Amino acid sequence: MSTLASVVEGRPATGPRAARGARRGRRRGQGWVAWLFAAPAIVAYTLFVLVPLVRTVQYSFYEWDGIGPSPWVGFDNYVRVFTDPELSGTIVNAFQLIVFFSGIPVLFGLAIAATIRRIATSRLAAVARVVLFVPQVIPLVAAGITWSWLMASDGLVNQLLSAIGLGGVTRAWLGDFATALPAVGVIGAWVLLGLCTLLLLAGMSKIDPALYEAARIDGAGPLREFFSITVPSLRQEIGVCVTVTVIAALASFDIIYIATQGGPGNTTMVPGLEIYYQAFVERQVGVASALAVVLVVLVLVCVLPIQRLTREQS
Amino acid sequence: MIVGRREAWTGRAFLVLLMLVTIVPFVSLFFTALHPSGTYPAGLDWPSQPQWSNFVTAFDAAHMGELLTSSVLIVLGVVPVSLLLATMAGFAVGHLRMVGRRPVFLMFVLGLTLPYEGIITPLYYQVRDMGLLNSRWAIILPLIGLFMPFGVFWMRAHFVNVPGELSEAAQIDGANTWQQFWRVHVPLAMPAISSLAILLFLWTWNQFLLAIVLVDDPAKRTMAGALGAFQGQWGTDIPLLCAGSLLVLAPTLIVFLIFQRRFVAALLQGSLKG
Amino acid sequence: MRRHSYRRTALGLVVLAATLASACGGPGESGPQSTDTAAALTEKPTCGKEPVTMSAYFETGFPMPKALTDKFSAQFPNVKWEVREDQFAVITQNAPRVLADDPPDLMRLPQVSELVKDNLLKNLDGYAKVFGWDSWPASQLEQLRMKPGGGARGEGSLFAMGLNFSVTGVLYNKTLAERIGMTSAPTTLAEFDDALAKAKQANITPIVQFNGGATGGFAFPLQNLMASFGEPGPINDWIFQKPGATIDTLSNQKAAQHLADWIKAGYFDRDANAMDYAKMMSKFQAGEGLFMFNGDWESGNLDKQMPGKVGFFPFPAEKGDKVAAMSAPLTFGIAANAKHADCAAFFLDWVATNADAREIAVAVGGSHPMGPADAPMPEVKKGTVTAETLAAGAAISQDNGAMDFIANATGAIYAKSWTPQLQKLFAGEQTADGLLKSVQSDYEDQVGS
Repeated sequence: MSTLASVVEGRPATGPRAARGARRGRRRGQGWVAWLFAAPAIVAYTLFVLVPLVRTVQYSFYEWDGIGPSPWVGFDNYVRVFTDPELSGTIVNAFQLIVFFSGIPVLFGLAIAATIRRIATSRLAAVARVVLFVPQVIPLVAAGITWSWLMASDGLVNQLLSAIGLGGVTRAWLGDFATALPAVGVIGAWVLLGLCTLLLLAGMSKIDPALYEAARIDGAGPLREFFSITVPSLRQEIGVCVTVTVIAALASFDIIYIATQGGPGNTTMVPGLEIYYQAFVERQVGVASALAVVLVVLVLVCVLPIQRLTREQS
Repeated sequence: MIVGRREAWTGRAFLVLLMLVTIVPFVSLFFTALHPSGTYPAGLDWPSQPQWSNFVTAFDAAHMGELLTSSVLIVLGVVPVSLLLATMAGFAVGHLRMVGRRPVFLMFVLGLTLPYEGIITPLYYQVRDMGLLNSRWAIILPLIGLFMPFGVFWMRAHFVNVPGELSEAAQIDGANTWQQFWRVHVPLAMPAISSLAILLFLWTWNQFLLAIVLVDDPAKRTMAGALGAFQGQWGTDIPLLCAGSLLVLAPTLIVFLIFQRRFVAALLQGSLKG
Repeated sequence: MRRHSYRRTALGLVVLAATLASACGGPGESGPQSTDTAAALTEKPTCGKEPVTMSAYFETGFPMPKALTDKFSAQFPNVKWEVREDQFAVITQNAPRVLADDPPDLMRLPQVSELVKDNLLKNLDGYAKVFGWDSWPASQLEQLRMKPGGGARGEGSLFAMGLNFSVTGVLYNKTLAERIGMTSAPTTLAEFDDALAKAKQANITPIVQFNGGATGGFAFPLQNLMASFGEPGPINDWIFQKPGATIDTLSNQKAAQHLADWIKAGYFDRDANAMDYAKMMSKFQAGEGLFMFNGDWESGNLDKQMPGKVGFFPFPAEKGDKVAAMSAPLTFGIAANAKHADCAAFFLDWVATNADAREIAVAVGGSHPMGPADAPMPEVKKGTVTAETLAAGAAISQDNGAMDFIANATGAIYAKSWTPQLQKLFAGEQTADGLLKSVQSDYEDQVGS
């Protein structure tokens, strides 16, 4: 072990020496041992993720109720997903939710993080860091229940509105056709705002203060600073925020299941919940699977461009 | 850097406002939980006679003891195994540079953005055919598989930065690959492993979809899943529902407050890396 | 860019695998499903003397089934019950899955047509013969009969039983009624409309009715109006899926329009679309509504919470001649693969014939027990809601006015069709005509599949 100790203490971890070391390792032909190490993970992943994924695609071409025979229907299920307003409407709803789940946390997060950047090392900020994470730590179902209660017709939201004189606007936010989807969006925004703010704040603290000094000298005001320095430097963090929140919006299930069950009418139905209903309540496994495939593709289509645009090539 | 006083105060005000917005819902939940069972109290309203017994009633009605046990069992089933599998695979892909590591790694990356709804339907029938429906294994086994993409990604990111000299030195001392792994690399990877453990613990405890689809008996679900059943059974009794929700929230909240710094660091890093 | 092409390769592999998998044939079993014909029984099944744990799946918020199982365990100590409770909407969602993959011995059932078609319920003909259920008044079990393998309801084998049969109508707050000068129950539709108008003027919420979440409670007043303007026969035909039946008839259109008029006149509690059943009960008990369209399953509860303050009357016909109302057995069934089917059947018979059980059905359940027409009826105090609902039940069966619920026409018609359309009607986003046409179109889709 003495040789090992000297290695740990002495040599740096990066640089050409590390690369040479790695190449030497490869030459020793540890091929099949490495596969033994990777095998259990690959097996678990294949068995419980890849196989079901392939099966979802398979199911989408049949009509099946889970018990009986399953006739082949080709692309009929996919046609139905795009033409039946009950199904295509869920995709529209999911995109509308992106405005709330992504838009609010990212925009407000940026604004707030920029404002509190200067006091980022104070004790208040340390406390805030803990508090703002709480929505990420609790189960989404709990957030849904909490906000359902807050947005009830005699809940806190309406109480506050009445207190500031907007009593006429009060209503059961989650039960009203026009406001149900935005209300669900607000719940999602609440859950994700803290995470985004903190991520952006962490990113901001990495920005070289010299850049700001230089901008100050050139006479730039806070807004110019913000748009010319802060935002561009945060490309990666913004990309992460947008990715995480977009996936949360498209794949949303927990909050809507517990808060509105997709109602009233179909106004808050999202693809995740509709898949559940189609597969396990309406016994239309084929349709559910087609919608599931569409959802997976949709997530990829939305996330890949964001990743390419904002991630620095490493 | 000169900090303008007005800017500092605006910043503080914003921060406090943000924290209020985060906390107030829980306060409202707490106040409501103290009202007499079966009533519909208005938003923020301290009851004239706080019913602390509601918490006891909710604890009994939801069989919280069983739920806690069930969640702990599921976490014990998922997290250690997932950590081991992910670390081994990350080691293989990131450090041992196995042949075919790019396709294998990309295969895992494919699953990073996969929404669980994309596979829940066949998973249900697969678990049913395995005879595991309505048992805790129905949640444990699929979760292990589902955590592999992120886990392997995370551990690989760590192992890629570990110098080959370490393994070589251990080899010279007579250790085979497995011993190298256990004696040298795992201890070195502890920070990454513990962060991963925190993330996996959180995601398992809060898992909802798998719990309600694959397990009917609330006593065998995760706590989040059981909350769904609790809402179904007591949803009409608001104070009781609020008390029950708070009790379900409590474990993750307490664990979070104890391990705050690790949690926050892990969550921030987790989002950046993923 | 190399990374990008690798991703394409990975995706391509997945697509290839999927295509291969789909080419291998569908997931389901081929071949016809065997239909369940009941085994012939020679002697009455019992629960035996060995310890038995029965699994049950009941509806939350209704104490009667639990009270019955407790009493049963008291009389038969070797039988224990493991009861799981859920809201009715959740039971409806879970029914096919639970019956197929985790069959309970006794379960509160939603609409049975599809469950029978998928062979998920036990055929009870054998039990009916040996226990003598066939000799009970036919109307009690009519709604639970179907041909094995599916089809129209109303005749055929028995696939479910009732713990009692209920009667629906209008419950009213006597104190508030006095305030508007309503001294006796309205006997014509015009008198009822009059009472509504008077209540509105006196600043009393005329009708508190739930319409929120997954269950649109406006189906109750709608169906009552349908029976008021027309005959119960055609409505029952539509519910039983008799070929050619339609809900979009002239008299039903009048009924739907009348409901829309009530909505426009502001006769309903303005939070209806966000109110669930329990909230409606809570409001009614707090005195925040004059009328409530509900059923006698709440009689016992209301007699306890608001003694002497609540009255009941069946919804009046347009001209006040005959009465019709939704009256249905509280449907319970045995899973086709239940472990203790015989014991469950014995329990069902016990509920209808045992004196203590009948007492519970009336006192706690507030409804008429099932059973032979001459079975002993427990004593009920005069002036209670229970007494009024029992009397109404007798009148309805005399007038042959019993209907099933329009929510029960198909497995999905309530959650997917009636509820969203009724919610839209209340929100002013749907017309009375549009409501009926939309529901009829969904019905034809669902029955045809």
